[in-house]
Amino acid sequence: MDRSQQNTHAKLMTRDIHRLTPSPTEANCFSVGGISWVSRVETVGTIVYRDMAEKFLKFNVDDGAGCVTCILWLNQLTSPYFNRFSSSTILMHARTARRQARDIRIGAVARVRGRVGLYRGVMQITATNVVIERDPNAEILHWLECVRLSRSCYRIQS
Amino acid sequence: MANSQIESGAPITLQELYPSSPFFMEARSLRVTGLLKGYSVETAIGVIEDGDRSLKINTQHLRDISFRVGSVYQFIGDLHIEPNNEAILQARTGRNVDGIDMNLYRKTVELLRQFLDVEDNINMVE
Repeated sequence: MDRSQQNTHAKLMTRDIHRLTPSPTEANCFSVGGISWVSRVETVGTIVYRDMAEKFLKFNVDDGAGCVTCILWLNQLTSPYFNRFSSSTILMHARTARRQARDIRIGAVARVRGRVGLYRGVMQITATNVVIERDPNAEILHWLECVRLSRSCYRIQS
Repeated sequence: MANSQIESGAPITLQELYPSSPFFMEARSLRVTGLLKGYSVETAIGVIEDGDRSLKINTQHLRDISFRVGSVYQFIGDLHIEPNNEAILQARTGRNVDGIDMNLYRKTVELLRQFLDVEDNINMVE
């Protein structure tokens, strides 16, 4: 198995994200076509659903090949997980997450990077970075990159 | 969960939307792109055009978007077929895509479809 992709954000079409299979031995590690292992992914697509909760923002991204649910946590100021960070770092994370959440609107095109995981049997992305794309060709270029990387990087072609 | 029922909008060109096309189906979720030729504020219905094809878009559910005739827009929505066999897209999302490379878009949609079909076949064999 190729583990060279495990610490990068694999550019995958949403349909392929839903086809990732979990590692039997390692948590939060998934196989692409039985060849490469990934734990982080990058997707670009149109935001088609948005639901703001108290501690997180849940949104769906449609990349033309499927939809994937993304979670952006907004609990940096209250979660014990962040106790190990300095207050200035926590504040910076909280502000960044709030700003990203404000920009996530239905109809916008977003580039989402994050950890992929299974939640209630369905793949979803826990977003670490969300950038709203202004370039009208961003999705097209992402599609082309996904096709190229799928052939040259994530799967062995005979 | 409500959001899990959202169907992805299949990217197509307007040339692919004709009565015998596999995309020409009631409630089919599609992604369409074209030049806005007309827009009625009263009905919230616009008409987009790509080459010699056009499509009506119902934008009544869209917020935070203004329409300018002559600009290029992309919509994701569900197709509704009228009794007279005229199609109208009930848009769920819309955005201005002025500057989009339509030639690249058309070629990439075709390439992406081939890629997804091949992948589907590989998975069926496996």
